[in-house]
Amino acid sequence: MVLRLRDRADLWTLLMPPTVWATHFLYCYVVAAVQCAKAGISLTAPEGGQAFAALGMVRPLVAAGTAVALLLIVIGARQAWRHTGGGFHDLPHDAATPEDRQRFLGYATLLLSALSFVSVIFIALPAFLIRDCR
Amino acid sequence: MVARLFWVMLVAGAVIWLAMMLLALHASRRRQAPWSDRSAARLILWGGAVTPTLILAALLVFGLGLMPTLRAPGDGLRIEVQGEQFWWRIRYTLPDGRSLTTANEVRLPRGQRSEFLLTAQDVIHSFWIPALGGKMDMIPGATNRLVLEPERTGQFRGVCAEFCGSSHALMAFSVEVMEPADFDAWVAAELAPAATPRGEGAALFMARGCGACHTVRGTAAAGRIGPELTHLAGRHSLGAGILPNDAATIDRFIREVNVIKPGARMPGFAMLPAAETAAIAAWLGSLR
Amino acid sequence: MSDELRAQQEERLGRVWASPPGWRYWSAVNNTEVGRWYTATAFAFFLFAGVLALLVRAQLAVPENDLVPAGRYNQLFTLHGTAMMFLFAVPIFEAVAILLLPTMLAARDLPFPRLSAFGYWCFLIGGVFVCGSIFFNAAPDGGWFMYPPLTTNPKLTGIGADIWLLGLSFIEVASIAAAVELIVGVLKCRPPGMRINTMPLYCWYVLIVGGMILFAFPPLIAGDILFELQRLADWPFFDPARGGDPLLWQHLFWIFGHPEVYIVFLPSIALLAMMVPSFARRPIIGYSWIVLAAIGTGFLSFGLWVHHMFTTGLPAISLGFFSAASEAVAIPTGVQLFVFLATMLAGRMVMSVPMLFAAGSLAIFVCGGLTGVMVAIAPFDWQAHDSYFVVAHLHYTLGGGMLFPLFAGAYYYVPLVLGRPLSDRWGKRAFWLMFAGFNIAFLPMHFTGLRGMPRRVFTYPAGIGWDWLNLVSTCGAFLFAAGVLIFTIDLFIGVRRRAAAPANLWKSGTLEWVGPLPAPDYGIRSVPAVSSRYPLWDQPELPREVAEGRWYLPDAQEGKRETLVTSVLDAEPEQCLRVPGNSFLPMLCAVLIGASFIGTAFHYYWSSLAIGVAGILAIMVWLWRGTAVIPDADDKDIGRGLRLPLYVSGPRSVGWWAMFITMFGDMTAFASLVFGFFYFWTIHEVFPPRLADGSPMGPGLLWPAVAAVTLAASWGAMLWARERNAADSPLGLRLGLLAGMALGLASGGAMLWAPWQAGLDPVSHAYPATVWVLLGWAALHLLLGVLMQAYCLARSLASKLTRAYDIDIHNVVLYGHFATLTGAVTLAVTALFPLLS
Repeated sequence: MVLRLRDRADLWTLLMPPTVWATHFLYCYVVAAVQCAKAGISLTAPEGGQAFAALGMVRPLVAAGTAVALLLIVIGARQAWRHTGGGFHDLPHDAATPEDRQRFLGYATLLLSALSFVSVIFIALPAFLIRDCR
Repeated sequence: MVARLFWVMLVAGAVIWLAMMLLALHASRRRQAPWSDRSAARLILWGGAVTPTLILAALLVFGLGLMPTLRAPGDGLRIEVQGEQFWWRIRYTLPDGRSLTTANEVRLPRGQRSEFLLTAQDVIHSFWIPALGGKMDMIPGATNRLVLEPERTGQFRGVCAEFCGSSHALMAFSVEVMEPADFDAWVAAELAPAATPRGEGAALFMARGCGACHTVRGTAAAGRIGPELTHLAGRHSLGAGILPNDAATIDRFIREVNVIKPGARMPGFAMLPAAETAAIAAWLGSLR
Repeated sequence: MSDELRAQQEERLGRVWASPPGWRYWSAVNNTEVGRWYTATAFAFFLFAGVLALLVRAQLAVPENDLVPAGRYNQLFTLHGTAMMFLFAVPIFEAVAILLLPTMLAARDLPFPRLSAFGYWCFLIGGVFVCGSIFFNAAPDGGWFMYPPLTTNPKLTGIGADIWLLGLSFIEVASIAAAVELIVGVLKCRPPGMRINTMPLYCWYVLIVGGMILFAFPPLIAGDILFELQRLADWPFFDPARGGDPLLWQHLFWIFGHPEVYIVFLPSIALLAMMVPSFARRPIIGYSWIVLAAIGTGFLSFGLWVHHMFTTGLPAISLGFFSAASEAVAIPTGVQLFVFLATMLAGRMVMSVPMLFAAGSLAIFVCGGLTGVMVAIAPFDWQAHDSYFVVAHLHYTLGGGMLFPLFAGAYYYVPLVLGRPLSDRWGKRAFWLMFAGFNIAFLPMHFTGLRGMPRRVFTYPAGIGWDWLNLVSTCGAFLFAAGVLIFTIDLFIGVRRRAAAPANLWKSGTLEWVGPLPAPDYGIRSVPAVSSRYPLWDQPELPREVAEGRWYLPDAQEGKRETLVTSVLDAEPEQCLRVPGNSFLPMLCAVLIGASFIGTAFHYYWSSLAIGVAGILAIMVWLWRGTAVIPDADDKDIGRGLRLPLYVSGPRSVGWWAMFITMFGDMTAFASLVFGFFYFWTIHEVFPPRLADGSPMGPGLLWPAVAAVTLAASWGAMLWARERNAADSPLGLRLGLLAGMALGLASGGAMLWAPWQAGLDPVSHAYPATVWVLLGWAALHLLLGVLMQAYCLARSLASKLTRAYDIDIHNVVLYGHFATLTGAVTLAVTALFPLLS
C-alpha cells in the first residue's frame, strides 16, 4: 500500500522512507542475532575464546537487504521529487493551497529519504567492520 | 585506545559546543541586519545536517573498528568470577591446568591478556575495574567474557556496577596487578593450604559451625556457601572491598555483618561471647 | 450582527461550556479544566520526585554518610526515577497538550473530553498509589528499570515491585488513551483551511509523539503482564533455570525505555518551536526540516534500545547496529537545533525570560547530546555505563531537552492559561539559580563517573577521589531546588497579584493567542478559516472577526457542546461534532478500574475481579449514554451558510479513527508477546522443549484448528451483520451478531482448551507459559469482541443502532478485524511452530 507510486502525496508516502529504514534495521538485527545465537559457539560460551562463531551468511544477507532498502528509498525519493514539482522553488510551501500542501509533503519526504538513506548505510556498517560473533 | 578516543571526542565536543554557543549568542545579541532566508536555510543544511553526518560517520567507523580488538581472546590465564549478593567467588584456571579458588580479590599479571568468565548466582551483577577497562554484566543463566590487559602494576579497586539489592554499594573488591614473576610466586603461596590450621580460634571456627559455609583449606572447613577464607589475611581488604583487613575488623564483621552489610546472607554472631569471636578473628587474621 | 445577539450568543456558549459550581466541579471534562488539573498534578509529582532527589543528594554529600539507610535509599532513587519518568515527564506532555492543543487548533475541545477526564483520574489514582507507598516503607526498591531476577524474587523484593508493576500499568493505559485522543485531535479537529502544511509545529510534534507512545508503551505493558505473571503465578519467563531469560525483560523494558526519552524530549522542543518564531518576529525557517527531524527522531528512537544493554554480553555485531542507530539519531536532533539558530539569525530577536530558558536549554542540551554521541560508541560505553557519567549525561539531555524548555514554555504560556504573566524579575533569578545549580550539580558527575563511581550506591568510601565532587553536586542540587522553589511560589502566589495580561502579549502569530486572556470556558469565540502558518501575522482582521463571532459555530442554540471536525490532509469541514458534557462517570470508572489494579497488588484477587467487572459495566454505561448519540436533526448551519452533518460513521468519524489508532497500540503489545516467543526460540537449542517420547511440546493441532475455523466464522458473521444492517435489516444484524458472539466464544474456548487438554503446565517452563499467554491474550480479545457485539445487539434492540446511525457496528467490526488477526497469528505461532522443529 505504502510502496505503490502515487500521484498525490499523503501521510503514508511521507512515512515510507523511515518505514523502509525501520524494516531494514529490524532485518539486520534479526539476521545477526539469529546467526550468532544459533551458531552454538558465541561470546557467552566458555570455549577459551579461541573460536568465535563465524558470521556466515550475515554479510551477504545484510548486503542484499541494504541494496533493496536503498533502492526503495531512492524510488520513494524520486516519487517525492515529482510531488515537489521537480524542484525546490516556492519554498517554504506555506500557502494554504493544495499545490503547496503537495509540494510540502514531497519536500519533507525528500528530506526524510536523505536521512533514511544515510541511516541505512550507518546500520549496514557493523556487518562489514565486525568479523565474527565475538 | 579508549582513553585516546575519549580525549578526541572530548576536544571535538568542546569545540562543537563552543561554536553553537557563540552562534546562539551572536543570534540573540546581533544588531545589524538579519540573515537572508537563503543563508539561514544554508546554515541548516550544512551546519545541522551535512557536517554532523560526516563527523558521526567518521566516529562510528572508528568506534566499530575498535570493538573486535577490545574483544580479542585472552592469552592464557582464565579467571571465573561469580557474582553473589554481595561478594565475588573467584576461581583461577592457570595455563598449566591447575586451579585456585579465592574470593573478593583479583590479582593479575602485568602485560598479559587475562580472560574473565563472568556468571551470577542470584541476581544480575556487573564486574568492573574502572582503572583497567570496561565492565561486563554477570547474568544468571549466562556466561559472559571479558578480557583485560593491565599495563601497569599497582593496587586498584573493582566494583559491582549493576544494582543488585540493598548492599549493592558495599560490593567491591580489591585488585592488584603484579609483575608476572611476583604473580607466579603469589599463586604458589595461594595454592598451599592454610598456614596455621590449628589453635583455639580454629577450634571455635569449627565448633560454631563456620565451616558449614566457609572453606579453609588444610582444615575440615569445606563449606561452599560463603567466601573461601584460606588465605584471608593476605588480602588487601575485608567484606568484599569495603573494610580494612585486620583482626579487630574481622571480629566486628563476624558480630555485626547484618549491620555492616544489610541483606547479606551471613547472620551476625553477636550472640557469641566476645572472647570467642575475638579468638576466631585472631585466627582468621593469621591466615596469610 | 447586533451587539445584543452577540451577547446572547456569548451567554449561551458560556452556559453550555461552564464547569458546574461546588463539589460538582470535579465532574468537569472540559479540556481547560482537565488540562489544568493534569498539569498541576504532574508538576506536584515533579516536586515530590525532586524532594526525593534532594534526599539522595543529601545522603551522598559526604562519604560513609548514615543519613538514609540502604533500604530506604534504594526506595528513594527508584521512586525518583519512576516518578520523574512516568508521573512527570510523560504526563506533563499530555497535560500541556490537552491544555494547549485545542487553542492552537481553534477547537472548542478535544474529540473525547470524557476520555481525557478518565485518563486524568487514572493518572492521579495510580500516581498517588505508587508515590504514597514510600510513606509506608513499601515503595519499589529495585530501580526504575526493575531488572529481574532481583525484582521477581519475592524474598528480595516485597510488595513494592507489585505496586510498581500494577500502578504503572494502570497509568500507561491512561497514557495510551491520551495519545489516541491527541492524535485524533491533530488529524481531525483542525480549523477549516489549516492544511497539513500549515499546522503549527507543535501539532506535528504531538502527532508524532502520540504515534511513538502507541508503539513504545505497549511493549512495556506486555512486559508488565509477563512480569506480574511471574511474580503472582510463578510463570518462569525470566527464570533461566526453567527456560526463561532475564534479558527478555531488559529488551521489552528498553524497547519502551529509549523511545520514552524522545517521547518526553520532543514535546518540550515543540514548545521551543512555537516560541522561537514569536521572539524572532518571523516565521520559522525550515518548517519542513522540523517535520523531517521530528519524524526521523520518532523512527530512529526505536532503534536505540540495546544501547542500554551494551554490557550484557550481546555479540559485538548486534551492539554495532544499535551503536549506528544511536549515532544516526543525533542527525535529526542537530537539525532541530540548527533550525532554531537559523530562525534566530534570520529574525530580530527580542530577549525575554522564555528565551533565557531556551538559551539555557540549548547550552545544557548540546552538552548532553555530545556526551550521548560518546556513550553511543560501545567501547566508550563499556567504561561509562552504569557510572555517574551516565547519570550526568541523562540529566543533561533531559534537563536541557525537557525541563528547561518546559520552564520556558511555562513563562510563555502561563498568561494564556491563567490570564496573568509570571514575574520577569523573579523569572531571571529563578533561571540563574536553576542554570547554575544544574551545572554545579551535574557537571562534576561526569568526573565522578570517569573516576569509577557506579550508579545507585547509597554510600561510598572516603579518599578515593569522589568526596568533594559529590559535595559540590549536592550543593548544586539544592541551588537548583531554590530556583524551582522561586518559580513555584511565583506560579501559585505571585501570579495572583499581577495585572491581567493583554491579548497576544508576545505578539505571536499562531491561533492560541487570538482571543482575550484568559480564554473563556468555551475557548474560541468563533472558529475561523485560516490560510497561513501564522494567521495572526498574515490575516490582521482575524482576531476582530473571531471576537465578533463572524466565523463558524458562534452560537450554541441547542445547548450542546459542539466543535468542528475536518478532513485529515486539507482540513475541509466534515462534521459538527457534539462532544459530551460534564459527568462523574469517567471518575467513577477510573476509581473502579484503579481499585481492581490496587487490589491485585495486594493479592485480593476475587474482590479485584468483582470491582474490575463493575468498572467494565460502568464504562458500558458511559458509552451507552455518551457516545454515538442520535442527534435531533441530520445537519446544522454552523454559520456563513455552511451546513454540516451532525452524525457521521465509518472512516469519517472520530470514533473510528480512535479505534483504529488504539488497535495499532494493541497490536504492538501483541507483537511484543510474539517477540518473546521467538526470543525464547533463538536462545534455546531445542524449542519447543521435547516431551518424554521425543516429540515437541505443544497445544496439538485439533483444538487450534477448531479455534481457527470458529474464529473465521465469527469474523464472517460480524461482516454479514454489518452488511445486513447496511441493507436495513435489523433482524439480519441481530442474527449476525448472535452468531458472531457464539462463534467468538467457541473460538476463545477452544484456544484455552487446547493447551489445557495437552497438559501444558505454565509453571514448568517458559515455553508452555508463553503459549498460555499468547492464547490467553487472543481469547481475551475475542471475549472483549463478544462484549462489544452484545453491546451492539442491545443498541439495536433499543433502536440506537440503525441503518442511518451505525457508528457502533462500524467500530466493532473494525475491532473485529484486529482481534481476528490477533487470533490467527496466535494460532499459527502456537500450533504450527512445533511442527517446524
